[in-house]
Amino acid sequence: MSAPQPTTEPMRPRRVPPQPTPESQPFWDGCARHELVVQRCSSCERFSFPPTNRCQHCWSDDVVWTPVSGRGEVFTFTVYRRAYAAELADQLPYVVGIVELDEGPRLITNIVGCEPSRVRVGMPVDVVFDDVADGVALHAFRPREE
Amino acid sequence: MYQRSAAIVGAAHSELGEVPGSTGLGLMADAAVAAVADAGLKPSDIDGVVVRGPDDEYAFQQQLGERLGLNAAFSTSLDNGGASQTLAVILASLAIEAGLATTVLCGYGRNSWTRTRQAGSRRARMNQSTHNRAREWRDSFGYFGEPATHALGAQRHMAMYGTTKEHLGHVAISVREHATRNPHAQMQTPLTMEEYLAGRPVTDPFGVYDCSLRTDAAGAVVVTSLDRARDLPHTPVVVRGFGSHNNLQGWTVDDHMVTTAAKQSGERAYRIADVTPADIDTAQLYDCFTYMVLAQIEDYGFCEKGDGGEFIAGGALALDGAIPTNTSGGQLSEGHVEGMLQVVEGVRQLRHEYPEERQVPDARLALVSGHGGNTVCHTTLILERG
Ligand SMILES: [Zn+2]
Repeated sequence: MSAPQPTTEPMRPRRVPPQPTPESQPFWDGCARHELVVQRCSSCERFSFPPTNRCQHCWSDDVVWTPVSGRGEVFTFTVYRRAYAAELADQLPYVVGIVELDEGPRLITNIVGCEPSRVRVGMPVDVVFDDVADGVALHAFRPREE
Repeated sequence: MYQRSAAIVGAAHSELGEVPGSTGLGLMADAAVAAVADAGLKPSDIDGVVVRGPDDEYAFQQQLGERLGLNAAFSTSLDNGGASQTLAVILASLAIEAGLATTVLCGYGRNSWTRTRQAGSRRARMNQSTHNRAREWRDSFGYFGEPATHALGAQRHMAMYGTTKEHLGHVAISVREHATRNPHAQMQTPLTMEEYLAGRPVTDPFGVYDCSLRTDAAGAVVVTSLDRARDLPHTPVVVRGFGSHNNLQGWTVDDHMVTTAAKQSGERAYRIADVTPADIDTAQLYDCFTYMVLAQIEDYGFCEKGDGGEFIAGGALALDGAIPTNTSGGQLSEGHVEGMLQVVEGVRQLRHEYPEERQVPDARLALVSGHGGNTVCHTTLILERG
């Protein structure tokens, strides 16, 4: 997995720790150790997201947290030009994107490490992690350097 | 199959715009009283109530019944977001045809502008999503507000089909043009492309003119049997058909944000009503954002998928255009009442109530849409001049 990015990296919104549920806790535990994990069905071998107790595809209850590649592409994105919270005002502009992982699931995330004006639909990206609190990290994606 | 036996006989909205001190329930009561009066009916005629209130209000139908002294054979509050208001008319029509109720009051009320002004509320609302799930998966990434959800769809549409910011501008400008002839509209000044493009940016590709308004208002309609409707004062507006579709797996799944649930909902509605897109004289579409008009114009088959931008830029939405759309100004320029005013406008156009400058000539069929519930629920009405 990629190394943590310095917190001084620009174009990333202030990010607050999520409030996990018992079902989602393993996902955030994975982020905390800088590993992206998604539930995979032991029966049909397909991935399910968001966290669940049942495979979205075949309804099996045998879903197992599985590390994924962290590779994907930008499915779509939007650049925030307006702050919805005072604390975000000095973070503008920042990019909220939907990344489609090579394994299939699509995640809401931030696109970081490049100017917002350079982000494109279809752009290949890799996961990075941002330690936002003690034992808590959030995923983001940055353009892949080939 | 539905026998086309229900009709809308009353339609009204409350005071609309910035109504200081208003409540959603109070406005809803005002619209309900006006709609029942418009229908030429009395309170005891109402035996069905299907409504929706602000999302944090439980059992809004009970609150309204208490306020207006109504019991009901058939009643519920709906939870399909912006798709609920057209769904209310669908449920009313089905209940009437099935004999479960005879005359159903449908409506929605909100006081969004007033709420925004209440001390502390703005900050609280902006800083945290209402639902636990959104807090977990959105707020942590700075994903706040409804504009972003629709902007994500717009950006994808732009990437796939070459749709431009100017195309979205033509939606805003077209509906504003309609609003200049609506004395109730919140925005009555014409909008130029230059002003549109200079609008305060929100979240790409949206600026302020891509976003619907904050409105205090309610709308209501009364639905009854077509037989009964013929004895009432207004030309009946027949509920000729309807459809719905719900992409419950989510907005970000498959291609839902580019080909929306309007497509399947529209196909069902056309089939049940036995009409085609070419038969529709006016469309009243759920326009929470400019992009949603463009997507629905395509999804409803008024043009091909991907051609919406050029179609609209060519004047399609105007009163003399290919499909006069949101002729009241819609939620972008008249006021945002979660689709309820679209139902009211559809009824008024089919009654030929307006002066020539605002009337769709010889309007016989209107398509009305509702969209919401995390942008995945969609409902369609096809209304016909009786
Ligand atoms: Zn499975």
